[in-house]
Amino acid sequence: MKLKNNIGSILLFLLPTLAGLFLFKLYPIFSAVVQSVYTTQFFTGEKSFVGLQNYQSLFADPVFWNSLKVTLVFNLIINPLQIVLAFALAMLLNTKIKRIAFFRGIHFVPVAVSVPTACVLWNIMLSPEQGVVNSILVALGLDPQPFLGSSLQALGSIIAIASWKGVGYWSLFLLAGLQEIPGSLLEASSLDGASRWKQFVHVILPLMKRPLTFIVVAVTTANFLLFSPMYILTKGGPENSTNVLMLESFNNAFLYSDMGRSYAIMVILLLITLTVVALQFKWLRTSH
Amino acid sequence: MIPKQPVKRFAAWCAPMLAAAVLFTGCSQGAGTSADSSSSNGQGSSTSSATTEISFEAYSNYEKPLTKVVEAFEQQNPNIKVKMNLVPIDQLTETIEIKLSSKAEDLDVLFVDTPLVMNYSVKGYLEPLDSLIPADAKAKWTKSAVDTVSYKGELMAAPMNSSSQVLYYNKDIFKKKGIPFPDADKRMTWEEVRDLAKQLTSDNVYGFSFEQVDKAYQLLALSDSLSAKMLSDDGLVSSGYSNSPEAVKAFQFYADLFNKDKVSPKIKKEESIDYFTSGKVAMFVSTNQNMPKIRDSGLNFGVTLHPYFAGQKVATPTGAWNVGISKYSEHKEASAKFIKFLTLGEGAKILFKEGGTLPPQIDLLNSIDTDPKYEQFPDNVIRIAAKESRETAVPRPKTPGYLEWEKNMNKAFEDMKNGADPQKALDDAVHVIDNLLKKYKGVAAN
Repeated sequence: MKLKNNIGSILLFLLPTLAGLFLFKLYPIFSAVVQSVYTTQFFTGEKSFVGLQNYQSLFADPVFWNSLKVTLVFNLIINPLQIVLAFALAMLLNTKIKRIAFFRGIHFVPVAVSVPTACVLWNIMLSPEQGVVNSILVALGLDPQPFLGSSLQALGSIIAIASWKGVGYWSLFLLAGLQEIPGSLLEASSLDGASRWKQFVHVILPLMKRPLTFIVVAVTTANFLLFSPMYILTKGGPENSTNVLMLESFNNAFLYSDMGRSYAIMVILLLITLTVVALQFKWLRTSH
Repeated sequence: MIPKQPVKRFAAWCAPMLAAAVLFTGCSQGAGTSADSSSSNGQGSSTSSATTEISFEAYSNYEKPLTKVVEAFEQQNPNIKVKMNLVPIDQLTETIEIKLSSKAEDLDVLFVDTPLVMNYSVKGYLEPLDSLIPADAKAKWTKSAVDTVSYKGELMAAPMNSSSQVLYYNKDIFKKKGIPFPDADKRMTWEEVRDLAKQLTSDNVYGFSFEQVDKAYQLLALSDSLSAKMLSDDGLVSSGYSNSPEAVKAFQFYADLFNKDKVSPKIKKEESIDYFTSGKVAMFVSTNQNMPKIRDSGLNFGVTLHPYFAGQKVATPTGAWNVGISKYSEHKEASAKFIKFLTLGEGAKILFKEGGTLPPQIDLLNSIDTDPKYEQFPDNVIRIAAKESRETAVPRPKTPGYLEWEKNMNKAFEDMKNGADPQKALDDAVHVIDNLLKKYKGVAAN
């Protein structure tokens, strides 16, 4: 009833958002799909229709498959890691101790630093020559590590940097969710003799399903599209060990002037992300 | 209760209007600026009374000399303003690529690396200069410089400077180790340099470093010395060339400096000159135009000739920056005026004097040979460079896909520095490169 009366003003409220959504989200997706079946000619700069040729050449290219593998491995590690860490951090920040506001403040500092700044900072700290991290390792009697210079450690280093930067942000949403849990529920469960772990599994977790769904989906999409750390720190190296699809797409567009191929990669990346997110929604569907 | 209702209503209507207002102001602002720029564009090309602003995409290393050039140019041409966008080398090609592939009009004059002249020409990024600069201009540059900036008989960019490399060394470190200074006129072999570097390496001091760590421009001197060819004649195949046995041997030497001999620091190009000027590196192969920087750092240094492999060809790097005009520029006349000033007129002299770079202009080159100033150390560096560029320089490979070739080779060099096997790194690189070069079929190099 009420909804019907206000439908006009609701639409009016939503208009800017819907317009933005169409202009900045849906139209580019549509455009990318269209552009991915075209290729640009030299000299004239004209576009010509090539059908699925861009996709065919991608599937025949080991560089693409390697890039796909790196993207999937990266997301398989970083997403669960960030979600678990963010949850743990949120639980810590939710404890009732003195000066908790101070801790809530400092955990947010990495979030406030911009991604390029964070990358440049960590690049200096992780430098194999005179980096502070290696100095600490050496002082502790350990061997210095190559970090971003090694094909075995580079992806791990980027995961660590991205998580350092991202976890604080995601934990905010979870903290908000935790604070919504009525204290009486926890009290009641502990009176019933529930251990902390049981309390967590049977009381907190079910009540956190909504914020968790948001976090899982947001973290996944953010990390599938993560690009700047690889671009700034490794450029996909060493030995293509950090060459994620986003970077490969960027290189094709802006270094190798192959827009069609770049769009084809974007479309594939979009399909993968959509599939993963759809599955996540299915598994985490809330009952209320 | 009663006063709450109207307030709610008011808010309900106000918010969307506010949002709409924000949107509209956003739009009108955008429209305003674009209208402004188009009107100034129109005036710039038709009447000379209004000021024209041209945008110049330049490599940040040239900030000091180029600022002086621009100052002098603006003084002579009060109605043209030059806006310099200084970009570090790693971002320069990308910035240009992004702007020109989107046909941006806010880019007028740009730096063009010699091997990229063909790449930019093929993509239609550059305005041919033949009709924009005087016909006798070509005779004022060296023939080789003119050749490198021409494509299909047309001048696509104007040569701004050239470069060569010399071996700088830190005299204090040599003295401390009791090792005699290298002979200024005798060219050392790479093997001698390596052995010397081993003796000079100790705690916190590395024996040797390249200036352009991981960069093809400088490292090609190694493979050129072994007469390795990097690409097929049509410039479209790297497999069998860039990973030939000679190339592998040359770059194995590079990889060993870091991993086996451990005489070179695993640093990036941006750090290399500071490592030398702060005394962390004893020998430093670097470009001639770094002399003013090294001299001003107060380092006690000497100079000798660029090394080569024992019993092999003497090969030195060479490369140049040229300036071109964007095809999409709306100020081509003004841009041409600036280019003439920078590459033919007074600007060329300023750049030579302030930047210490090797000039492609015949009269300036002659002055290096005759002016007694260049007999004295350290100014003799430029005379050495001029001689090397005439006698031993090997230009970089000619291919429409130079950008693709270079980016992937640089990656391979970096991997080798970090411990990858050179054979494998090069094999992987040529595979990627050949795939990327396919699209240039039909636009052969020659």
